[in-house]
Amino acid sequence: MKEFHNKECTCWNCPAINLAGKVDFRACGQSPKKFEGGLSRGETHLMAECKRRPELGLFDPMSMTFEECSEWRETPYGYLLKNMRVMIVGIDGYLGWTLALWLGKLGCRISGVDNFSRRGWVKERGSHSVVPISDMNTRLHAAKEVLGLNINFREMDILDRESLKEFIEEEKPEAIVHYGECPSAPYSMIDFEHASYVQKNNVMGTLGLLFTMHEAAPEASLIKLGTMGEYGVPLTGRPIFEGMFPADAVLKWDDREWSMGGELTPRDPVSFYHVSKVQDTFNVYEACKYWWLRSYDVMQGVIYGVHTEQLAADPRLRTRFDIDECFGTVINRYVSQAVIGYPLTIFGTGEQIRGFIGLEDAMQCITRLIAKPPEPGQYGVVNQMSGYSSMRNIAETVKRIGKKEFGLNVKIQRVENPRVEADRHPFEPIFDKLPKEFGFVQQDALDKEIVRMFKLLTQRHVKERIEEKEHLILPKTWWSGVKKEVERLELIKDENGNKNGNGNGKNGKESRNGSKNGKKETVTFDGR
Amino acid sequence: MDQKTERKKPLRLTDDNFEREVLESDIPVLVEFWSSWCPPCKMMEPVMDELAEELSGKVKVAKLNVDQNSAIPARYTISGVPTFVVFDKSKEMQRYTGAQSKKQLYLICNAGNLL
Repeated sequence: MKEFHNKECTCWNCPAINLAGKVDFRACGQSPKKFEGGLSRGETHLMAECKRRPELGLFDPMSMTFEECSEWRETPYGYLLKNMRVMIVGIDGYLGWTLALWLGKLGCRISGVDNFSRRGWVKERGSHSVVPISDMNTRLHAAKEVLGLNINFREMDILDRESLKEFIEEEKPEAIVHYGECPSAPYSMIDFEHASYVQKNNVMGTLGLLFTMHEAAPEASLIKLGTMGEYGVPLTGRPIFEGMFPADAVLKWDDREWSMGGELTPRDPVSFYHVSKVQDTFNVYEACKYWWLRSYDVMQGVIYGVHTEQLAADPRLRTRFDIDECFGTVINRYVSQAVIGYPLTIFGTGEQIRGFIGLEDAMQCITRLIAKPPEPGQYGVVNQMSGYSSMRNIAETVKRIGKKEFGLNVKIQRVENPRVEADRHPFEPIFDKLPKEFGFVQQDALDKEIVRMFKLLTQRHVKERIEEKEHLILPKTWWSGVKKEVERLELIKDENGNKNGNGNGKNGKESRNGSKNGKKETVTFDGR
Repeated sequence: MDQKTERKKPLRLTDDNFEREVLESDIPVLVEFWSSWCPPCKMMEPVMDELAEELSGKVKVAKLNVDQNSAIPARYTISGVPTFVVFDKSKEMQRYTGAQSKKQLYLICNAGNLL
């Protein structure tokens, strides 16, 4: 029998539970009066109702597990509510569209909103998605025709709260995945107008969504996309915990000591965009505290990839793929550069280390989070990455695969670093929760995904679209405010194919923290 | 994770079983009063799991959710979470509020030479 990560969850976790009026979460020390609420005389434990199965009447929400409930069905990623209603905010984006098709195929009822701003930002920078994408109408038709999915889409800016509330009341989502933000550090560093736009769009959008959930969907779980960049890289080398300190992290001062357990760890955002994400973190955290909303804040590593089975099913279903300095993520951009013979550009020494995750793995993680909803009022944080590596190692990997599998002559070149960041720094991220508590197993190995990217991007029509936008690859946005293209520095020498690109001296291998208590095991980037 | 070797988990207390499991217990009981909306309580989970295993037979490690059960928290005037209370022979021996490291919890359990 399969061991699902959510089999022991009970109705306490379930978004279908109706706790309204049955529990006073302030009973512990904050309630102005002695609470008697949903507890009838002679019964002292909590009773609640199920919105999906009203015939059950009042029952103890701890008495039934997902495994026992007929509404929760087996999927490869744990039990999922049948026809689970999932709303995706930012459904037209790189992740949003991919997730819509992914969850749709798992039997979820998908709704989504978007105002197509991502298309606008990329256009504003003079670029385009190098993998051609369809307009939303065509996408929706293709999803129906090819995959049999009915996606309920509504064009909307979530800052229009009235429309958002109306749609949420209509759809009654059981989970909301929030991808509806501007995801670019360089875009936020262009000038004041861009910085303030990004902060307003992201922070006010999320704040409005929180108020709307409070009013219209308090029992839905909110899966909110954050970023590992919220933490920065602490130069002390202390571990980068998953949002909060563990109980055994102790503050010592004046011959006394305190557990830091449950306190938010310091954030050190690395751009004005990342500041907006940190502000989101605090807003979500507070909303859970004030209103008992339930949320997972997902600190995602740098994403890469083009493939899921659904995206590959039809050219009209492809998700976007950007390569410009603002919206192209690093591995995606490196593969594109390799395809057109443009040297892979590493900033400074290229020894900056970042966490990464493949597109398919990110979809798996989000699904597993949806399948195990947070408990009432729970604000949980996961670091969503499958491994980490230096930029130079990543460039070496792309180069190796480009050369070996596709016969490309790939070079690596240093360029000036337009960002304000340490080139060399310690990096010890903790990313245990998804594998340990949510059953995440990496499927989307880096090498495999890079090969898939090469296969798609070397197709003539895609390659031509990369070449058209080649002039947008080199950064022109400096954190200092200077506006000039970064200077190209030396090409990395390549004597025998493996002399360079070994930032950590592990010959292409990188580390994954696979155990707690600071003990590290060294395995490859792909977690093998 | 190996499911075959059943690891001890903290006992789930309710208003109904508190009398039997805590006040009538033959051995001391460490009770955590907790809530799902309390981040420090969540971070105590792995520590409480480890203690349940390590103190097995010496101290009963147990948890009571204050939102699902209202009578016992009211009886013991629990006004913040997490609150850790050690009971021995039906008497309250120790009480601390706020997250505790594992070492601190050991000291709390051991303060009355319970271990």
